[in-house]
Amino acid sequence: MTKEIFFHLNSHKIFFWLFIVTFLLQISFWQGSSKNYKADLEIVPPAPNKILRSALSLGDEEFLFRILGTRLQNSGDVFAGFVALKKYNYQRIYDWMKALDDLNYESNFIPSLASYYYSQTQNRADSRYIINYLDEHASRDIDKKWWWMFQAVFVAKKSLQDNDLSYKLAYKLSKNKAEDAPLITRQLPAFISKQNGDDCMSFRILTELFKDVQSGKQKARVDEINYMRFYINERLKSLKEKNFNPKKCLNLN
Amino acid sequence: MRSILKYILLSAIRDRLYIGLFITLAASFSLAIFLGSSALVERQEMTASFIAGSSRVVLAIGMILFVCLNINRAFENKEVEFIISKSISREKFIFGYLAGFILATLFIFIPLNIAIFLLAKANIFGLFIWSLSLFLELIILISFSLLSSLILKNSFSAIMASFGFYIISRMMGVFVLAISIPDSIDALNKNNILQVVLKFMSAIFPRLDLFAQSKWLNYGFDNMLVLQIILTQSAIYIALMLFMAFHDFKKKQF
Repeated sequence: MTKEIFFHLNSHKIFFWLFIVTFLLQISFWQGSSKNYKADLEIVPPAPNKILRSALSLGDEEFLFRILGTRLQNSGDVFAGFVALKKYNYQRIYDWMKALDDLNYESNFIPSLASYYYSQTQNRADSRYIINYLDEHASRDIDKKWWWMFQAVFVAKKSLQDNDLSYKLAYKLSKNKAEDAPLITRQLPAFISKQNGDDCMSFRILTELFKDVQSGKQKARVDEINYMRFYINERLKSLKEKNFNPKKCLNLN
Repeated sequence: MRSILKYILLSAIRDRLYIGLFITLAASFSLAIFLGSSALVERQEMTASFIAGSSRVVLAIGMILFVCLNINRAFENKEVEFIISKSISREKFIFGYLAGFILATLFIFIPLNIAIFLLAKANIFGLFIWSLSLFLELIILISFSLLSSLILKNSFSAIMASFGFYIISRMMGVFVLAISIPDSIDALNKNNILQVVLKFMSAIFPRLDLFAQSKWLNYGFDNMLVLQIILTQSAIYIALMLFMAFHDFKKKQF
């Protein structure tokens, strides 16, 4: 029997056994290597760089911004429930937020995510990334983005409990000239310095602001003016009780 | 000429272009509304961007497939030979086909814009400029698909060439960015060949990345320089494609 005839008569059997062998090979291959090649379910992957963002957007940066924004909002949804915020890599969250700001700075979507969602982390130290982002975002245009600086002050005060940092941010916030910003955005450094125990600084800030209101530089409602009067009187009383001359506060520079 | 237009519209219905695009657009609209409504804030802006971006992609893919498959079938069924055997010049034939494809696009494009206006509640002027630029982008794409279908023998090559053209043109922004990498970084590699290739490509391909940006729907449009570039680019490129098609079709022997 020649080779050709043998093959012709037995080819169906040969291919059947070849099929069985390759099938077993496939199973044994993944039995051995599946431990090393597990699906990578990172909570927050590294943020895309500038060139990659530009390539992915295909010219439509707003479209990519919204897609990546949704991705950032839903990170942590790993198909088996949600992950606690303390397990997130906040350095990467910060990188994502900065990258998305490059795509669209006008939008309030990312600062909203930072202020209302990611600031709720159980790991207090991670709040610093959120504060840094909000500070940098708002500082680019404080008149337009003052609300996010206000949020940064709030997170620094409440979550991080860093009074010095919250005072610094409040001071930056007080420099806004936005018409829609309430007077409290200018009063905040005074309130925080009062809480920090610095009555003198608090008295000085409010007195200067009051002078601005009286001279017409700063607009304020009647109830806001009355409140400032009350606050200044309270600080005066407090300083007198401590036997400290309030005039000395006004000479500080 | 009029009969060619009628024929293209008829084949659009026969090929189920409108039903196909309608179903795909309806699915992309639904997904956009779902994703938009799941956003923490700026739901309207989210929905508008998703609708704009996805409908641009759907229309571009739909028109490339329709033009390439339609022209290819016209050659295979000897419809081209039949039409040019009549008293019609080859230029008129090409122009008739291009006008037919543009008209076929308009029939889906106008309802799409009305739907975007109603659903996305977009900035009116922004939507107008977005629609205008998307329409011009589609005409450029249709012209290229028509040209590639005439030059290349089979539909698969024409479709792949058109997709390649669209993606490269949409990525022109990255290429321009790569060309303008500061000298200090470039000195590390001294990869001048790549720079020359990119410069050459950026001169040949249109800058489609400047067209139909969904941010115009959310924040309005105020950059008249971009509009000027879009209009000039479209006028030059559509004419270029058309003249190349005339030249190629003139040389063709049946």
